[in-house]
Amino acid sequence: MRGLLKSMGVTLAVFARKPVTREYPDTHRPLPERDRAFPLLLWDHDLDEPFCTGCHACERACPVECMTVLMKDNPNHRTQGGDSTRRKIVDKFWIDYARCMRCNICVEVCNFDAIAMNNTWQGHETSVYDRADLIQDLPQLLAEHKAGAIKPWVPQ
Amino acid sequence: MTTVPFPHEHEFETQDLMINMGPQHPSTHGVFRMVLQVDGEVVRDVVPYIGYMHRGGEKLAETMDFRQGIGWMDRTEYLAQHNAELSYVMAVEALAELEVPERAQWIRMILCELNRLSSHFMFTGAFGTDAGIFGTAFVYSFREREVILDLFEEISGDRLMYAYFRPGGLAWDVPDNFARRVAEVLKSTRQGIKDMDGLLTENEIFRARTVDIGKISAADAIDWGCTGPVLRASGVPLDLRRTEPYLYYDQLDFDIITGTNGDVYDRFVVRVEEMRQSVRIIEQCMERLRPGPILPDRLPRMLRTPPGEVYLRTEAPRGEYGIYMVSRGGNRPHRLKIRSSCFANLQALRDMTIGSYVADAVVILGSLDIVLCEVDR
Amino acid sequence: MNNDLFGFEINVWADAAARLGLIVGLMTVVVMGLIYGERKIIARFQQRLGPTRTGPAGLLQSVADALKLVAKEDVRPRSADPWVFELAPYFVFVPIFLMFVAIPFALRWEIRVLELGLFYVLAVSSVNIVGWVMAGWGSDNRYAMLGALRAAAQAISYELPLVMSLISVGIVADSFNLTEIVRSQGQVPNIVWQPLPFFLFFVAILAELNRTPFDIPVGESEVVGGPFVEYSGIRWSMFFLAEYAALFILALLGAAVFLGGWAWPLGEEWGLGWQLVLTALKAGALIFAVFWVRVTMPRLRIDQLMAFSWKVLLPISFVQVLANGLVLVYEPPQHIANILLAAVSGAGLLLVVWIMNHSVGKPRPRPVLSPRAATAPTATRSEAAR
Ligand code: SF4
Ligand code: SF4
Repeated sequence: MRGLLKSMGVTLAVFARKPVTREYPDTHRPLPERDRAFPLLLWDHDLDEPFCTGCHACERACPVECMTVLMKDNPNHRTQGGDSTRRKIVDKFWIDYARCMRCNICVEVCNFDAIAMNNTWQGHETSVYDRADLIQDLPQLLAEHKAGAIKPWVPQ
Repeated sequence: MTTVPFPHEHEFETQDLMINMGPQHPSTHGVFRMVLQVDGEVVRDVVPYIGYMHRGGEKLAETMDFRQGIGWMDRTEYLAQHNAELSYVMAVEALAELEVPERAQWIRMILCELNRLSSHFMFTGAFGTDAGIFGTAFVYSFREREVILDLFEEISGDRLMYAYFRPGGLAWDVPDNFARRVAEVLKSTRQGIKDMDGLLTENEIFRARTVDIGKISAADAIDWGCTGPVLRASGVPLDLRRTEPYLYYDQLDFDIITGTNGDVYDRFVVRVEEMRQSVRIIEQCMERLRPGPILPDRLPRMLRTPPGEVYLRTEAPRGEYGIYMVSRGGNRPHRLKIRSSCFANLQALRDMTIGSYVADAVVILGSLDIVLCEVDR
Repeated sequence: MNNDLFGFEINVWADAAARLGLIVGLMTVVVMGLIYGERKIIARFQQRLGPTRTGPAGLLQSVADALKLVAKEDVRPRSADPWVFELAPYFVFVPIFLMFVAIPFALRWEIRVLELGLFYVLAVSSVNIVGWVMAGWGSDNRYAMLGALRAAAQAISYELPLVMSLISVGIVADSFNLTEIVRSQGQVPNIVWQPLPFFLFFVAILAELNRTPFDIPVGESEVVGGPFVEYSGIRWSMFFLAEYAALFILALLGAAVFLGGWAWPLGEEWGLGWQLVLTALKAGALIFAVFWVRVTMPRLRIDQLMAFSWKVLLPISFVQVLANGLVLVYEPPQHIANILLAAVSGAGLLLVVWIMNHSVGKPRPRPVLSPRAATAPTATRSEAAR
């Protein structure tokens, strides 16, 4: 009987405490800056072009092969009359978020700090009705950083 | 399928009832299936079926280089990811003969023990539900687990699939407020352990349900290959942290918890006490944590190992989590085999269950604390 | 032929219809309230919030649930026995609602005053087990079958302590009329003089209602809902409705029989409003206790449950009835009789507690292996491998 009463005491003590529920869709807990949702590409605001040179390093390192990168000559390069130092630049870029396992390897291997993990709630709330809609193309991948919506964290 | 012929005590002809439990059943802890042969309420035989969760993780990891493979280890043991990663990266380090900086080792220990806490919380919660509490134990444990997962998210960026350990050290350093956050987490955890202990350990009904149920002797447990709390509950003081110390466990002061009876109750109490020991370990680690590098100075961009083979085991929350790795040189393992603790522990289920009641079968299965992803890999 | 319905002259048939409508309407509303209350209270016990999203503070959650259940498809397994399967909910539902007839809320506020009200309630309440067994058998599902057999065994075992505990109170009150029982308590409610029957009553209603620690027939983690496992939609909601209606009615019964109903401690002169508040408070306290036990206790096993009923509760309840009879046969003065009753009953309660303590055994000391001594490091196998 003592044990039963002790258990009842524990539950009663908890009854008096404040609930710990986070009312998720109404209130969003602030995310830590290292939070990893899905990878996205960063935008070089100085030169008005992506950082990504299309070097395929991330594509090769991705364990689930969910990235596809195509490279092209940079029309904005110095030799072409522009002001960019990037000789090559990304032409097309797809990431299949449905396959991505959010391992952060693409961010680690990129030599140009051109890719980062989305650390906002928008990055987590990506439900769609069709898996094909989860394949992100270059404009979609660049949109958030271009609009200044994220502050990326890239490990040193 | 083998069935044990059982002498019928009845005068008249009776037929045992075959009950299929799982793979969709609230208390099979994932997609585990067992077919119970019951006579009234008494279990005459149980045939377990595994493999619903098989994804070929070992084979997949053979196609991955050493950094990519870490993510796969997370997914074999989704309640103790840091411990699973640890075995893998330590195996790679043994093959490549990497020196790991001291700070990285301490952080690894802290994270592994925190992960043991979160995993044991998950056990106590799920076990309470198996024993029939209406969700209370479960919610208490999730409350505490949530606090720990929040810390993990602040460190590694992810709540479940951390992919944070690297051969040679860690992916990146912990945030600056690490010490304060760990202290906060431990405070909450201590309260959680107290709640869980008070709710269950002395409760008469809980004891009536667990004491002397699913007993297994030390000799049998060793024969079945049980490790971890299941083995220690039978009285065998085998804890790899003590018997073959890895990381810096030999520098710390902590107790190995053993049971006396090898029953379900002991398995529960051993885990609760182990949580207290984990808190002790983390406190000692925090005292010894110093600033410093977290990766070796000269780490090649793509890690390659000389040919060789290694079996490396660590003490995960559920027992011995071993990695057998064969390298023929190159940047990926030639062969990888995971020694799964749950798989071995689950083998003892049939022995423990036969002759008990249907309700006991659920409690016994719960006390083994299986993670089906680890059983099936 | 006219009848008196709360002070109005009214035709017999209209009267019957009105009272029937009252039962069904009131019950449905009360059950919805109870479900909402249970979810909120249990949520607080678990540091959660409970329903919040339908209506202000989730108040409309039960309404939404009811709508969902009504709109859901009524599935019947092909191999089920159609008649048994379809009729089972009514066999659970109707007896529970019939119980309501004799339960008083306040002075002259009941559907019917029955001279043997207590008996009537008990007799009707035990019929619904037929519905449980029908549901288990008709579903053609092994979990349901197992659950129904458990339910039958449990209901039969716990019906007896329930009856005995109420009979012993009836003996003390010298009546089986619920109104009389409330009146006879006077200054001090029965729980003081009869703690053991109250304990028996509480344990037995937990078992009758299939709530933890006695939720063996429906045990979610074992038989996945027991006899109801194949039911869905409106039929399932009838079981649910019956379960909560039974909770409400038994709590009212307990409040009237043991806690002094509407009378204690204000007396009968206070107005109807106060009487209703008192009844509601006492029933509410009992219901809260049921919820509290539900969030705290693990589930007993079927053999332990049966042993507890047949070996502990039943013999002791017989002794209690006998003792009450003996005390009253010799007609001692009122206060001596009361003290004697309380002493016997209290001793019985202590005996039950003692038995409960000793049937489980002492908690084993926590085993801890002292550091280092017994476990010296051995050569690592990984070293050997290299
Ligand atoms: S996070 Fe990992 S899985 Fe996702 S795209 Fe990057 S490398 Fe591939
Ligand atoms: S994101 Fe980085 S690694 Fe990937 S293609 Fe662009 S520059 Fe190369």
